Amino acid sequence: MTFAIQVENLCKQYGEQQAVKGISFTVEHGSLFAFLGANGAGKSTTIEILCTLLKKSSGTVNINGYTLDASNDNGEIRKSIGVVFQQSLLDARLTVQENILHRGKTYGLSKKQLADNYQFVSTYLHLADIENRKYGTLSGGQKRRADIARALIHRPKILFLDEPTTGLDPQTRQFVWQAIKQLQLETNMTVFLTTHYMEEAAVAHQVIVLKEGEIVAEGTPDELKTKYAYDSMAIVFHNSSDGIQWLEKNAISYTEKLGIFSIRVDSTLHALTLLKKAEPLIASFEVIKGTMDDVFLHIMAEGGAA
Amino acid sequence: MEALFSLVKRNNKVFRRNKTQVFYSLLSVIIVIVLYAVFLQKSQINAIEEMIKTTPELVTMVNEWIVAGLLSMIAVTTTLAAYGIAVRDLESKAQADFLTAPISRATIQFSYVLNSFIIGCIFSFIALIGCEIFIASTGGQLLSFGDFLKVVGILVLSVLLASVFNLFLVLLANSEHSFSTLSTIIGTALGFLCGVYVPVGALPSFAQNIIMYFPISHTTLLLRNAFMESSISKVFEGAPASQVEEYKKVYGIVYDLHGNILSTSTSMIIIVVTIIVLAIVSIIIFKKKNK
Repeated sequence: MTFAIQVENLCKQYGEQQAVKGISFTVEHGSLFAFLGANGAGKSTTIEILCTLLKKSSGTVNINGYTLDASNDNGEIRKSIGVVFQQSLLDARLTVQENILHRGKTYGLSKKQLADNYQFVSTYLHLADIENRKYGTLSGGQKRRADIARALIHRPKILFLDEPTTGLDPQTRQFVWQAIKQLQLETNMTVFLTTHYMEEAAVAHQVIVLKEGEIVAEGTPDELKTKYAYDSMAIVFHNSSDGIQWLEKNAISYTEKLGIFSIRVDSTLHALTLLKKAEPLIASFEVIKGTMDDVFLHIMAEGGAA
Repeated sequence: MEALFSLVKRNNKVFRRNKTQVFYSLLSVIIVIVLYAVFLQKSQINAIEEMIKTTPELVTMVNEWIVAGLLSMIAVTTTLAAYGIAVRDLESKAQADFLTAPISRATIQFSYVLNSFIIGCIFSFIALIGCEIFIASTGGQLLSFGDFLKVVGILVLSVLLASVFNLFLVLLANSEHSFSTLSTIIGTALGFLCGVYVPVGALPSFAQNIIMYFPISHTTLLLRNAFMESSISKVFEGAPASQVEEYKKVYGIVYDLHGNILSTSTSMIIIVVTIIVLAIVSIIIFKKKNK
């Protein structure tokens, strides 16, 4: 089967410094793919290479069946991709519609096709109320809507988003996310995004964690959670010294902070059996599910399985 | 092609809607107009009156002289300001967005050049109309149809020269900061380099040589010739040929370079050759930068 994106041994060197150190991965058609990593991990460099903005140092990249940097393929790649950048890059003094149409005309579409596409993105991203306003006067969330609409004006097969929600308020973040997910579901578009919000990566089909230019973990969010995150339980005892005694008697390792004891549990049921045994000692408790945050922190601290 | 036109249209809108930028691009021209209104016109008339009897055409001749200088300056300042978009796009990374579309860097760059040329033409033609109204309202005669076409032709050539000249400079400026420094230097020096603030003849000979070697000043010279031909002949009617010659040399209507009087066709050749050379050099710089 062919993949939407196929990367093999991709390297990028800036002088002495190696920003991307030979990474390989594949992205399936129609999937939501998240690229995770701290700042400076090489996420943006990788995405810029895939978007034909930056020359790779070595390795092979195949996007939508076209080979990156092969004779005439970059033009075909550009027709198949849409890119939403970290910053807002449209012209402040032009209206949203002018911005989108001017850029839409650079794809060689027919007049009718362009008009149809505009209709499509306008409906999808609710542009009706902002399309005649100057881009510079829009709020952060409205700008993002326009940015995404611009990236979709030529109906690309693959949408790249470089930290699309960084710096947005929670409500706008949610809107942007819903729009992306809906698009991906309804149009079967491949979505490739970078983020450092763990909860965003959690809804992806496939996640890759990048650290210092290398892949340190990959898998579905569930796989990663099973591997790197665990549930824990926070307990407050009536009497802390009795609690310590009990924990030590049962050889349970714990950490303590302000009288709250945290212990690792294998599952919620495991927590229940422990709780039953210690019931008379316990004043209150809380079972905390493992999250993608734990996965990220754990991988970053230990360097993952690599 | 459609992509190129769309980019040019976009550049054009981005420039025109930035009113402060449009104002700044005309600032050095506005300064000349103010200086002229305050004292340049008067002192020039006084100086000429010392060599020849006063006629009503004298004021017109001096007005036409300044108008020619202004028009040649506008071509340079507006085209340079239009390149500001290119510098800003590069610095703000806005160009990256264009580069994700199937268009080449060369197309994008060419769209800036074309936009500069169009902006230069638009402003030059508006200014030309304004100048004609000014001359007519101060008792002068409008250009004849033939001379008008000649002036339009020279304007187009001077805008082309300015577009290429500024392209060369802008390719060397890598940030908005260096671009604004460049704009300030050009805006200040241009009035001197075209012999508009001070007539060529009033300067020491090394400065005269700099002006005569400065290709853009030749557009000023050609415009002066086109505008002033009939008023000069009226003002200097009956005066000895040597006196006319002297006036033309002092006020930069002919150039006397190392004892040789340059013909207007020499000026044309200098302009055309400069355009070709700078265009080739700019292409080489552009290719080197984007290797």
